[in-house]
Amino acid sequence: MTHDLEALRRDVRSFLKAQAPADWRASSRTQDDFVRTQRDWFGKLVHAGYAIPHWPAEYPGGGRSLAEQKVIYEELARADCPRLLLSFVSTYHAFATLHECGNAAQKARYLPRILEGETWCQGFSEPGAGSDLAAIKTRAERKGDVYVINGQKVWSTMAQFADKCLLLARTASDGPKQAGITYLLMDMKAPGVAVRPIHQIQGDEEFAEIFLDNVEIPVCERVGEEGMGWAVAQATLASERGLTLMELSYRMRGALGRVAGLIRKHGHEDDRGVLRDFGVLVTQVDAVCALADQFLDNRINGIERIGDASIVKNAYSRALRAYSALGLRLGGMDEQYVAPITFGDLNTGNWMADFMNSYAWTIAGGSEEVQRNIIAERMLEMPREPKGWVL
Amino acid sequence: MIELNELTDAAQKAFPAGSLSPARDESWRLAAEMGWLMVRLPEADGGLGFTREASTALHLEMGRILSAMPLIPAQLGLQAMAASHDFAERAEWLERLAAGEYAPLPMLGAALTPSPDGTVSGTISGVFEADMAAAIIAQLPNGYALVPLDAPGVSIVERAIWDPSRRLFDVILDGYTPTLMLTDAAGAKALHDQLSGEAQLALAADCIGAAGAALDMTIEYMKVRRQFDRPIALFQALKHRAADMKTKITVAEALLWKRVRDESASLTDLAATKVLAAEAFRFVTEEMVQLHGGIGLTDEHPCHLFLKRALLNLQLCGNADLWNERVGREALSATG
Repeated sequence: MTHDLEALRRDVRSFLKAQAPADWRASSRTQDDFVRTQRDWFGKLVHAGYAIPHWPAEYPGGGRSLAEQKVIYEELARADCPRLLLSFVSTYHAFATLHECGNAAQKARYLPRILEGETWCQGFSEPGAGSDLAAIKTRAERKGDVYVINGQKVWSTMAQFADKCLLLARTASDGPKQAGITYLLMDMKAPGVAVRPIHQIQGDEEFAEIFLDNVEIPVCERVGEEGMGWAVAQATLASERGLTLMELSYRMRGALGRVAGLIRKHGHEDDRGVLRDFGVLVTQVDAVCALADQFLDNRINGIERIGDASIVKNAYSRALRAYSALGLRLGGMDEQYVAPITFGDLNTGNWMADFMNSYAWTIAGGSEEVQRNIIAERMLEMPREPKGWVL
Repeated sequence: MIELNELTDAAQKAFPAGSLSPARDESWRLAAEMGWLMVRLPEADGGLGFTREASTALHLEMGRILSAMPLIPAQLGLQAMAASHDFAERAEWLERLAAGEYAPLPMLGAALTPSPDGTVSGTISGVFEADMAAAIIAQLPNGYALVPLDAPGVSIVERAIWDPSRRLFDVILDGYTPTLMLTDAAGAKALHDQLSGEAQLALAADCIGAAGAALDMTIEYMKVRRQFDRPIALFQALKHRAADMKTKITVAEALLWKRVRDESASLTDLAATKVLAAEAFRFVTEEMVQLHGGIGLTDEHPCHLFLKRALLNLQLCGNADLWNERVGREALSATG
């Protein structure tokens, strides 16, 4: 077992040595270049068999154990390769949804296309329904063989480049708010779909709004039963967290060298205050790596507990904030002048952009506050707030 | 892993949760009977030969009950003795220590002056529970030595500390002639580094165990304490603070176990582990006092016991400022 893992590690490492894209940060400074770099890299990884290790064995490169997946992501992080941001929703969320809840026809149609580069986005959040996902209002009305959709989605990661969308819409509004939600697969080129990228505070356009005006989706594109979309959405959301945070934590560990570079650049090598602050950060990042490792090991051994994922997410996002904040501080006035950013990455060394971007991790995917509620109520068994409070 | 679970179970049975700082001498006898003093002693020396995981598990459990017995300095003293292969009375002392005699290693620095006649004078600080010790194992100017406390020129003075769960003494040397050397001056550094790493892990485990107990106690209190017609555990602002306490403990504990199992971890790595654990412990106990409200300020409520132990642990074996600076310096040069 350990022997096999080491053999895999060697294989991945030699592949990365030969194929990892050099200087991708500099070549990801326009949206178009970013998209091209991402598509190239995804194609290479699919070809090498490392893009979808978590898929079943009948797909090329699939059938890997969680321990093997961990090795692959550790090596991708170590080699500082581009993260597969553009295909992330496709290979994790769309895959998990279709694999666990889709029918045979849907799987046969869509899963191979993902490997060919078809890109998916997620239409979950709405204005007024962020972390409270069940509060969505976008409506789906059944008319014969189609659902007619009206409403608006927001915070859809890279929807402007997507071919397809995992869409949650409301088919009924009586009863509990989790009921009456239906899960649909939407073609982003269907008439009535309009996408507007959101220009973010750090200069990136990672997210977009999706406006839906009488969009027709065939009934055969529904996943699960009508009104049962909430359960399907849980499969989507539970699909990736451990591996991603492990990969990101190790990437941040590797990126500590960027802070060290700043310390040298500004001549702080013997500033005890700076050294202490750097030391605190190094230990914080080491600890988050240990935590992410422990979380994955527990998953591998089937002993994950409710709330574990929330703890990892909050610890990671706070470490990321601390990392980028220290870089921004040590960078001094230099960082106040606008410099080109790398699209879609978290530790680019453009400290202002990285610091602003770090907030995405304390908000997206269930805000830090929602994670705290999960830790307190589910893990520490503190009482839940009574239903039906009205102001 | 079976050994670990068994040790933990036995510890929890012998020292039940909630019964804080049980009497020192009875605890010590019980621990000796259960073989805890032999846990890390090599099998060749009549010990159990367990790994760092085993002693970490025990220190964590003893942290949970704010143990009054000095298991950490005792274990360090035993390890120093086990490592001293040139010491003539090694076998005899190992037997005595494993059976329950107490020869602690001090946890703070010493200010000692050697004289040309070979005697040493000065103060060795940070000796836990010296009134039950037969001897201490201390770093003198010419190497580690076993210093019997009834030898001429040796006396002890208790120094009252704020943490009521433990007692600290100074050992005063006044023209003392060291005769029982465990190492020479050259061997002292290697032994110091080995024991120092062990001490850091043991203290980190004490912090994690105690912080966990403090959090449990705080949450229980928040569930029964009512204000504005509701248990205060219902208020989101307070629940979030409990979640942050849990998160800090979990993160520090993950680092602790990773480094306990990593034989290649440096002394600085192990010290960083202790600093993170002690900072988490301090954070949790400060929150504990606040979340208990007025009762948290009283002497009869146990909140302050946790807070005071956390503040002492932060100072033992090098404080956070010292080690954070060293972590930063080493990480900087590692990227050079």
